[in-house]
Amino acid sequence: MNQRIIFQNDEGGVSVLIPTPECLQDYTIEEIAAKDVPAGKPFKIVDVADIPTDRTFRDAWEADFANPTGHGIGAEAWFAEQAAKEQA
Amino acid sequence: MTTTINASNSGGGGLVQTADASGILALQTAGVTAVTVNASQNVGVGTASPTQKVSIAGGLSFNSALSFSGSGYEIGQDGANFLCFSAGSAGTRFINASTATEFMRLDTSSNLQFNSGYGSVAVAYGCRAWVNFNGTGTVAIRASGNVSSITDNGTGNYTVNFTTAMPDASYSICGTVGRGVGFSAPRIIGVGNTNPTANAAQVSTIDDGGGNQDCEFTMVAIIR
Repeated sequence: MNQRIIFQNDEGGVSVLIPTPECLQDYTIEEIAAKDVPAGKPFKIVDVADIPTDRTFRDAWEADFANPTGHGIGAEAWFAEQAAKEQA
Repeated sequence: MTTTINASNSGGGGLVQTADASGILALQTAGVTAVTVNASQNVGVGTASPTQKVSIAGGLSFNSALSFSGSGYEIGQDGANFLCFSAGSAGTRFINASTATEFMRLDTSSNLQFNSGYGSVAVAYGCRAWVNFNGTGTVAIRASGNVSSITDNGTGNYTVNFTTAMPDASYSICGTVGRGVGFSAPRIIGVGNTNPTANAAQVSTIDDGGGNQDCEFTMVAIIR
């Protein structure tokens, strides 16, 4: 897995979302981002190489979300969407 | 000897009957016995010596569901160390036929119960999600079950996101952390600063001074 999902968390820092290999067998990284990024928050899908490996100042990381890949809808809405698709 | 009714394919063919006083009836095709009804009225299919009401030597196939009428029906082998499957008012039970010990049950509340050395069956509570990941350097997931992703929120702070949601947030979070070779100071894992939900659980890995600490080995299990 060479990609990560980043979004700005409520504390103003940057959260990095790491999809599990098991989930990527069934869903795309965009789908996982939609589900696991909090509702309304913009996210970016980036290469893992773009994530610093030095975590000394982890809580001070910043990122520009002016041009996001998409926005999270949150798990509840995502599960509701999946249920609606299954019923259709 | 046996009384036989043979659908013959030799000579002129046709139905050939031979009779004796054995009280055994055999139905044949091409001279080979397919079904035997013995003097005890046991029916054998593929066997000339049926020991049960119906004895079958060979496979059995169905083109629709096998169903039972009534309750308390059983499938098994009496008097031997074989599985005995029994369904009744307690649910579907799996019993060692020789010791009469119940070792598993699917009860009428849809619970799985198992014995596994307890001495009797009891409801089994499952690990509904788990993950093992490295929280240092490039955070990476080693293996997982029912976890869609880990959110690295900051130093020693992670959210475990479930692939399939829990029925509610009243589950138990178990965890173990370690920093690997060369680090002996104890580390603990606790609930993060966000309450657990049915969809995710936030956890913190904490050093012996009480501050958040990234750990090389972070293992979380959700029991419900």
